Amino acid sequence: MQVKRRHVALALLILIPSCVNLIVPIYNKDSPELLGLPFFYWFQTLWLVASTGFYMIFARLKDKRL
Amino acid sequence: MISSDVITVFVSLFIGFIALGFYGKYWRKGDLNHVHEWALAGRKLGTTLVFFLIGADLYTAYSFVAIPSGMFAKGSLYFFAIPYVMMTFGVALVTMPRLWTLAREKGYVTASDFVKDRFGSTTLAVMIAITGIVAELPYIALQIVGMQAVLTVMLAGYANAQVAEEISLLIAFIVLAAFTYTSGLRGATLTAIFKDILIWVTVLVVIIAVPLSIGGFHQAFSHVKANYVTLSSSLAPAYMTLILGSALALYLYPHAINGVLSSESAQKLRKSTALLPLYGVGLAILALMGVLVFSVPGAMNFLSEFPESSRGILVVPSLILYTLPGWFSGIALLGIFVGGLVPAAIMAMAQANLLTRNIIKEFKPNITGRSEIRITKISSTVFKFIALGFVFLVPATYAISLQLLGGILIAQILPSVLFGLYVKSLKKTPLIIGLLAGIGSGIYMVESANNFGALTTSLFGTIFGPVYIAVISLAINLAITFAGSFATNRSHATRTN
Repeated sequence: MQVKRRHVALALLILIPSCVNLIVPIYNKDSPELLGLPFFYWFQTLWLVASTGFYMIFARLKDKRL
Repeated sequence: MISSDVITVFVSLFIGFIALGFYGKYWRKGDLNHVHEWALAGRKLGTTLVFFLIGADLYTAYSFVAIPSGMFAKGSLYFFAIPYVMMTFGVALVTMPRLWTLAREKGYVTASDFVKDRFGSTTLAVMIAITGIVAELPYIALQIVGMQAVLTVMLAGYANAQVAEEISLLIAFIVLAAFTYTSGLRGATLTAIFKDILIWVTVLVVIIAVPLSIGGFHQAFSHVKANYVTLSSSLAPAYMTLILGSALALYLYPHAINGVLSSESAQKLRKSTALLPLYGVGLAILALMGVLVFSVPGAMNFLSEFPESSRGILVVPSLILYTLPGWFSGIALLGIFVGGLVPAAIMAMAQANLLTRNIIKEFKPNITGRSEIRITKISSTVFKFIALGFVFLVPATYAISLQLLGGILIAQILPSVLFGLYVKSLKKTPLIIGLLAGIGSGIYMVESANNFGALTTSLFGTIFGPVYIAVISLAINLAITFAGSFATNRSHATRTN
């Protein structure tokens, strides 16, 4: 059971960033703006930073036990 | 005409770049007569070095010039590059450490080495190698197109600018070929760090200086058409499939795999891959320049002197020139210029490995190690000059068309390379048929989407709206591969029972 949970967690860490960015209607709008940038642009740029967090956790989890 | 300080800074830094390239031979010394020492830097690169190397390898001069160019011409559709790079590192994180581990165990240097061993099929391995070489060639040519854009902006107004541009490119490539020949991937890694530092300094200065000079982002976005602010909803399927198709394809390119295999351990590879989306922030900033440029009158005036079709690729270089002080423009322009040279070196090296190991050796199996490395070094030089000759002889638009096609072709090796790592039941014959069907349908759809003329789009009109062709032909390819393998396994099972 423990192993299965770990696999699900690993899969989610990769799938969440990708799915959020593949579902275009989530972010295809101009407001709210951030520093004058339309939502469309800053949302996707911020996800580059967020995905790094997800991916780092993935890398950590993967290295811990194998 | 630009001041001479720009050129002075540019040339001095370029000399530093050359020195680093040649110094690579002595850095972490190894016997460069071995393929894995020359082409993979002895498989000894740690987290930071792999980060810089793959960063320099994937975020190229062409992407720094072409993405803003697309944004400038077509609007927000081209911002797909940002979620695409984010997603591609997720794909890499799952698949590449496994490929690395197998490669270390069994001594693979290319993806084709893996496929040959995994499926025991020379035909499939040779097909994968050819696809890789063909898809890579226009990619190198496009690096040169990006470098050309820098030179065009720098030399505009000088007498004989065209001749000076071609001579400069030729010199740059001779130097590049010389140090790649002697230093291999070590030279590329050192120069990659140099390039990355210049690019990052540039990006940070640009993101502060340009919005300040035009009164903020809000100002810039309120002056452009709606399709520059958000995506027209009819383009959502195109946006989605461009992200998906490109993200799946990037790590199939030979130069990406070459970078991966130079890592010291699977763990370090994972860590540097996880950090690579951060590099995309620089790309996002430069992409925005394709919109911000509309608010910089100096740059717009300069661009209006060029034919409309070639304005796009000049956006970033001219914006740099018109918003930053002269000496700094020299640094920034050199950053983009060498941003073309470093990946060109790695791409040609990866092509040469495929040609020697997976094609020539198949037909002449008793080549000695020494002649293998010699053939590899020579062919990596030849590939660079083929790309250069291509750019000199045919208009830049052809290189861009072929690159569109290259992306669709390289995606077709996914079932063999990535699924091959995990799915046990795949069989070689369905993989070969799937690959051929994917390539055939891809070429057909590209041709028909462009009415059998010059290639300008890689989107195919479907009932869902425009869709990236690589995704459709990959779906056909995968369907054949899985159905065929399933049928083969079934009939095999009944026979043994």
